[in-house]
Amino acid sequence: MTLLADLRQALGKENVLEEPLELHIYSKDASLIRGEATFVVFPQSAEQVATVVQIAASHSVPIVARGAGTGLTAGASPTEGGIVLTTTALNSVEIDPDNRTAWVGAGVINLDLSAAAAPFGLHFAPDPSSQSACTIGGNVANNSGGAHTLSEGSTTSHVLGLEVVLVDGEIVVLGGLAPDSPGLDLKGLIVGSEGTLGIVTRVLVRLLPIEPEVRTLLLDFPTMEGAVTTVSEIIAAGMVPAALELMDQRMTTAVENWLHAGLPTDAAAVLLAEVIGELEGVDSQAGQIGEIGRANDARDVQVATTEEHRALLWKGRKSAFGAMAQLAPDYYLHDAVVPRTKLVETMKTIYEIADRYDLTLLNVFHAGDGNVHPLIAFDASEPGINERVHKAGDEIVTFCLKVGGALSGEHGIGLEKRDLMRMAFTEIDLDAQARLKEVFDPTGLFNPRKVLPDGSRCFDFGGVRREVPEGAWV
Amino acid sequence: MTSHPPHITRLAAELEGAPDAELAVAPKSAHDVASVLHHATEKGLNVQVWGGGTRSGYGAPPPPDIVMSMERLGEVESWVPGDLTLVVGAGAPIADLETRLAGENQTAVFPEVPGASTVGGAIAAGAAALRRGRLYGTRERILETTVVTGDGRIVRSGGRVVKNVTGYDMQKLSVGAFGSLGVIVSVCLRLWPMPPAGVTVTVDSPDEVSAIARPLAVLEENGSTRVFLWGTQEVVSALSDRLDGESADGLDWPADPSGSHKWSLRVPPALTGQATAYLADDWRYLAIHGVGDIRAASDDAEAAIEIRAWAESVGGHLVVVEAPPDFQKEFDPWGSPPSGLDLQRRLIAEFDPARIINPGRLPGGI
Repeated sequence: MTLLADLRQALGKENVLEEPLELHIYSKDASLIRGEATFVVFPQSAEQVATVVQIAASHSVPIVARGAGTGLTAGASPTEGGIVLTTTALNSVEIDPDNRTAWVGAGVINLDLSAAAAPFGLHFAPDPSSQSACTIGGNVANNSGGAHTLSEGSTTSHVLGLEVVLVDGEIVVLGGLAPDSPGLDLKGLIVGSEGTLGIVTRVLVRLLPIEPEVRTLLLDFPTMEGAVTTVSEIIAAGMVPAALELMDQRMTTAVENWLHAGLPTDAAAVLLAEVIGELEGVDSQAGQIGEIGRANDARDVQVATTEEHRALLWKGRKSAFGAMAQLAPDYYLHDAVVPRTKLVETMKTIYEIADRYDLTLLNVFHAGDGNVHPLIAFDASEPGINERVHKAGDEIVTFCLKVGGALSGEHGIGLEKRDLMRMAFTEIDLDAQARLKEVFDPTGLFNPRKVLPDGSRCFDFGGVRREVPEGAWV
Repeated sequence: MTSHPPHITRLAAELEGAPDAELAVAPKSAHDVASVLHHATEKGLNVQVWGGGTRSGYGAPPPPDIVMSMERLGEVESWVPGDLTLVVGAGAPIADLETRLAGENQTAVFPEVPGASTVGGAIAAGAAALRRGRLYGTRERILETTVVTGDGRIVRSGGRVVKNVTGYDMQKLSVGAFGSLGVIVSVCLRLWPMPPAGVTVTVDSPDEVSAIARPLAVLEENGSTRVFLWGTQEVVSALSDRLDGESADGLDWPADPSGSHKWSLRVPPALTGQATAYLADDWRYLAIHGVGDIRAASDDAEAAIEIRAWAESVGGHLVVVEAPPDFQKEFDPWGSPPSGLDLQRRLIAEFDPARIINPGRLPGGI
């Protein structure tokens, strides 16, 4: 039978898309890179996912798993063609309040999970800015972070178990409710693997109690340096707030023009800080943060007094990318990490690079983690602009690595940063990662040519002597 | 007796407490480690990696041909308090390291009563702090590892920043892997600030703690429950007032119970109380409520079969941490094999092809 006939027989005609317009829509995620979907399928169960995997293998057609398509590195773009497997029908949520966990379908939207957990006084900690659209499966694939990663860590710290379809169609459950499953932590390896090792169908997540009190502060600064120094000094004072988010003046202006969230547009930088915990702690921590800010020339320190006020401040932060449309038709968002203590010089360098390439660059980022998100707004129809945008981007990432940082904090590698991996790792390191991929997926069925640069596995080890210095042998 | 070349024998060392072996070595660099492992791979010699020896019976390792101590690889390479990150050699004793970090009011959240255990040993054995319910386990603190594979490759993964999704998370795979994916040489850890005050409150029952959203730890030790709180003086005083119990200043962490047999009982968090009720008559225990991590000890193994059967029936595990070797021959240290065993075996084959690092020490006899 043909591939299409096999897929229709397994899933029903209604769960297989084949019209050109439909395929076009699913041929790209939120990055700038488009692929070409052969078919798009909507399996209704893990068993159906397993069947699709077996069908794909028998036709030697790759599979690209997709949640909501909010990814920014082309991780879900079918750039090698193949079946786009959309997880949205895998949408079960089973909350276990006694164990403070939930088994969640890969297609469940991040915010819907926290909404389902709220009646039990619980929530799911990872909160990407796209949380009203992105799926738990996508969060697992990219080890997503969010504003509150600072105190609770990324998705990997909140995944206790996974149901995964392996390349041979076997459905395995890795990890579980009990801590420290004996043996290698395979689930931990699959988190962040961007759909290249297997297809995650259900996730056992940790839920945290909703803290009794929250204080959200907005501090505005006449200089970016004052804001960044405040972040460092808050951490140095022994506090780990739930979030420390920074926006520069260009960003607050764009947001205000659009949303009217009450952000001060005449400040060089605004810092959004949030502390959570017991009543006895939050006010003193908020007070301490305000004092540190004022010592660094903060002009004003607002503390959100109502839930509405707090929601509005966060809406301004989380809608930052939506505000970009008014500036230019296209934007290119970077994601890199630097040691927190290097933030001041990193921000200076980022502005300097943007000026040199004559680009409009805005900053909104997770300052507490050192996770920067420079955003370049441009019009792709302008001659020569694409090249300038990419050159500036490469310089920014190169600088971040040079000061001891990382290629990506929370968006992943996908296709976009694949070739930059050589800047971060040696041939031997990449070869080791390629071996992991080969063990799970020897034929390259799952999301081929993502994460690792071509040729990663080609490293000719040539015997151990290459690694051992000559002098060691005498 | 195998003959060992001079570049290996020059690393020979006296290792106190280590098992008898043909050769005991203490490498001084990652390259030395690579030399030893490459030699062992060529000759097919079993290597037991030696930290502080505190978990040396865990997983019932076979008698080694070579014991390799990491004691000369224990330097702090870099520590930037403002970044809350630390790069340290695997052989660093945890007690010394935590004392040094405490000087800047920071912690690496390693086990609180570490004895002689080392950074690399605790990671390889998957040992976690009693504070793990609030501050997460050892796995969540590892940002970067440098390991040496069985065939002598030096492999780095992760990065030295607190947030990083660059490539596969191999660094976290080292936790609980007993070196099977490579001997840990150095790690970058995410640190945590230590607030100024701590209080320990003795309460009647773990149920009383519901008045506090996220305590640092709730520990039940042989029927007695203590709540550990930290924060500013104002916070800990207020929180301890909410609990009906006797409070004492400071955090007085208990050691794991001791006996001829030591166990790790792992159950779903909500079943911690049921598990301790089950153990009460026979075994001494220290249980972390809200986590399901129970450290137990006994003077014999009479109840073990029954307790393991119960644990496995609720999705948990009873693991032998230490026991007389004869007992471990008849009672599998890990219990029923975990899922994905074939994947585990094939992964390890890529990193330790001759299977020389702690062979047979993992579940399923891998």
